Amino acid sequence: MRVALFITCLADQFYAEAGVAAVRLLRALGVEVDFPEGQTCCGQPAFNAGHWEEARALARRTLRVFQEAEYVVLPSGSCASMLRNHYPELLPGSREALAFSERVYELSQFLVRVLGVERLGAGLKGVRVAYHHGCHALRELGVREEPLALLTNAGAEVLPWEAAEECCGFGGLFSVKLPEVSLAMADRKLSTLPAAQVLTSTDAGCLLHLSGRMAKRGGNLRVAPLATLLWEAYAG
Amino acid sequence: MDARTRILSRVKRALKDRPKAELPGPLHPVPLPDPLELFLRRLEENGGEGRLMRRGEVRSFLEALAQGFSGAALGRTLPPDLRPPLPELPPEEAPLGVSYALFAVAETGSVALSSEEGRKVHLLPPTHLVFVEADRVFGTLLEGLLSLEALPTALGLHSGPSKSADIGQVMVKGVHGPGRLLVAVLT
Amino acid sequence: MRAKARFYPKEAARLLQERPGVREAVTGATLHFERNRLRAYAEVPIEEWRERAKAVKDHVLSHLDRYLEEAERRLLEKGVRVHWAEGPEEAHQVLLEIVRRRGVRRAVKAKSMLTEELGVNPFLESLGVEVFETDLGEYLIQLLGEPPSHIVGPAIHLSLEEIRRLFHERFGTPLEASPEALAGVARKVLREAFLTADLGISGANFLVAETGTLALMENEGNIRLSTSLPRVHVAFVGLEKLLPRLSDLALFLPLTARAATGQRLSTYVSLLGGPAKEGEEGPEEVHVVLVDHGRTALLADPEAWETLRCLRCGACLNACPVYRQTGGHPYGYVYSGPIGAVLDPGLLSLEEAYPLPYASTLCGACLEACPVKIPIPRLLLTWRHRAVAEGLTPGWEKAAMAAFRKVMESPALYRLFSKALRGLPLPQDLLPLLRAWTEGRGALRPSPKPFHELWREMEEDRGRQN
Repeated sequence: MRVALFITCLADQFYAEAGVAAVRLLRALGVEVDFPEGQTCCGQPAFNAGHWEEARALARRTLRVFQEAEYVVLPSGSCASMLRNHYPELLPGSREALAFSERVYELSQFLVRVLGVERLGAGLKGVRVAYHHGCHALRELGVREEPLALLTNAGAEVLPWEAAEECCGFGGLFSVKLPEVSLAMADRKLSTLPAAQVLTSTDAGCLLHLSGRMAKRGGNLRVAPLATLLWEAYAG
Repeated sequence: MDARTRILSRVKRALKDRPKAELPGPLHPVPLPDPLELFLRRLEENGGEGRLMRRGEVRSFLEALAQGFSGAALGRTLPPDLRPPLPELPPEEAPLGVSYALFAVAETGSVALSSEEGRKVHLLPPTHLVFVEADRVFGTLLEGLLSLEALPTALGLHSGPSKSADIGQVMVKGVHGPGRLLVAVLT
Repeated sequence: MRAKARFYPKEAARLLQERPGVREAVTGATLHFERNRLRAYAEVPIEEWRERAKAVKDHVLSHLDRYLEEAERRLLEKGVRVHWAEGPEEAHQVLLEIVRRRGVRRAVKAKSMLTEELGVNPFLESLGVEVFETDLGEYLIQLLGEPPSHIVGPAIHLSLEEIRRLFHERFGTPLEASPEALAGVARKVLREAFLTADLGISGANFLVAETGTLALMENEGNIRLSTSLPRVHVAFVGLEKLLPRLSDLALFLPLTARAATGQRLSTYVSLLGGPAKEGEEGPEEVHVVLVDHGRTALLADPEAWETLRCLRCGACLNACPVYRQTGGHPYGYVYSGPIGAVLDPGLLSLEEAYPLPYASTLCGACLEACPVKIPIPRLLLTWRHRAVAEGLTPGWEKAAMAAFRKVMESPALYRLFSKALRGLPLPQDLLPLLRAWTEGRGALRPSPKPFHELWREMEEDRGRQN
């Protein structure tokens, strides 16, 4: 089996280790991984802000860059949803976009639903995890049980968190267009955090926003992308 | 052209090329196994007080109840044997109102009150006693509505004491409507 | 009522800064409503209910002229006087005629968002009529001179302390008065109003076309009283409130109650069918005003008409993490929260409602909550797209998007940008954007090397190993 990794612009820049972890993990599970080097951004920031011409240009480009791929795997729920759910909307009538959308998976979704892997190892034994459900992963892709199963089966204790499924307030451009509200939303998440050793999620944007806010407020909880933890689960 | 014509023509124009959506068929009521028990439970959950009562027990019940009240307002259609031994007072003054319901709904813990017996008696006295026949206690609201041959001018569905949490999210009873709802189901 | 939506960003920021108690109060109230709704939804086959309710509403909306005409016929048969109002002017005319003819001096009002749209209170007051809002929450904000903050609980933004202070100043109650005591004072004032009012005004949750029945839901009893005691009752009904059959109430009343407050049914439901008969208690005159005020424009919109399914339950407000931070006031119009962001541009205009469609992270919690499955996130995206097309978005955003596209269309440019992020000073027009980020979240710290460089290194390592 061969997959193409779409690292996503935010992870490429701010959570590069998530890409390394994803590649290592997939290879260790017997999957061949390509990285089409022409990749840049899926276009989501433009799409969400209503700038659909720009988004369409990047969508068409992305389809070309990944046209050879049998599967496209992303360490990001929101970008995976952009490709899976919104590319067909942006390019209505495009059979290519429709066919492409069915080959797109967020990483944990790929592991569980395509590879059938739910047990990676015991590398997270005793680790107390606070899991933030990214909104697009949760509500647009239906990715909810997969990350929890993978973490728990590796020995992690995913702590109950009252606000786990509430939006963190990143929302792409929202974070800088309505910063006060965005920060108030981050504060709601952070003020209800359980006593975890690590905060994780499928989405780099969420983690960037929450970790930044936490640092500003003086917290020092480890923040790690899900891919990184999943590699630790495997590699021990 | 008056407003009516202008509005209707705008509606028609708006819908000209709109695909027509079909109306789902009418619901068919599914009777519930023990509506009496469910009704009492749901009414209680809503903060109301309910009990089953044989017709023969009504007299002594009303005598005991009357001890706590100076008078009562009575619904116009209240059968004579359901009247408490109390002076009749206008609803504006009475501490107790007594009604006879058209039906009750078990799943929601509601009684259906008709304007035929009045409206003030349902709303002004702080305590409201409602009698309903056991064979008029339906499982669902649908059954209750379908059981009526004609709608009264006003039908009130009352499911418990009046309540509000508008003051600092603290629940307060009896703001406007009766703070106490008592229902006696006549078996 | 004029919309002040364009002040949303400033008002939201100001509220968060100056009245942190509002965030706390609104968060507490909305979480409470949300939990109750989830429990109430879980008790029933909610997906079936929602699907069915959506289908019924879609049917009514796609045949709206027919149902309006049928409803009017039934209402007239029952002795109800039917008026049609395109907007506030005609609505005011109806009231003016009644006030003059019947010498109305005092009116009691049930909570109605539509009457806020139409500016009913200020108009009546201009005629010298004393108007009492009788819903307890509405009464509180009437005393304070504030607009409602939430569709179902207009005063959720007020803390107990603030209410105590209000009553202390207005009625001389002690500062530590209990909620029961405060409610008792309001009850006394409003009871007097109910008993002496000449006119009762309400909205309507539903108007059943088959029977000409108005359905109204509440928990306090003020709607029952406002529509029973005064000699004249006027109900303002938005065109979209129609239901086909009486039996449809058996779905919509419980569904709306569960969505709004997690109740199986509201404490009081009034099913009203015209003026009182001879010898009966009740209003001598009942008027129904069928109101357009932007609804036909929204109905004509091929992408946005679904918004008119809205039951005004407030479930989306309770689910929304953005609304939760500020309550409704910063939105600047009657309908706030997620539904406000998609209804207001449709009823008013996008220009007037801008930037409300941007007051969202597109998290989707609203759609999950909506009892009639209004696709709010999709509608938000549609309005945003239109905002860009209409040139409403700020210049810097357009420039940023153009630059963004340029960079992302060229891997070479993208990699250059990647290097710039790690060393070179960044382009000037990006700086305000950067500040908005770093002020609350600290400096951006990119990974020492971007993944696309690490990939090259990984491949070279693999190549060397093989």
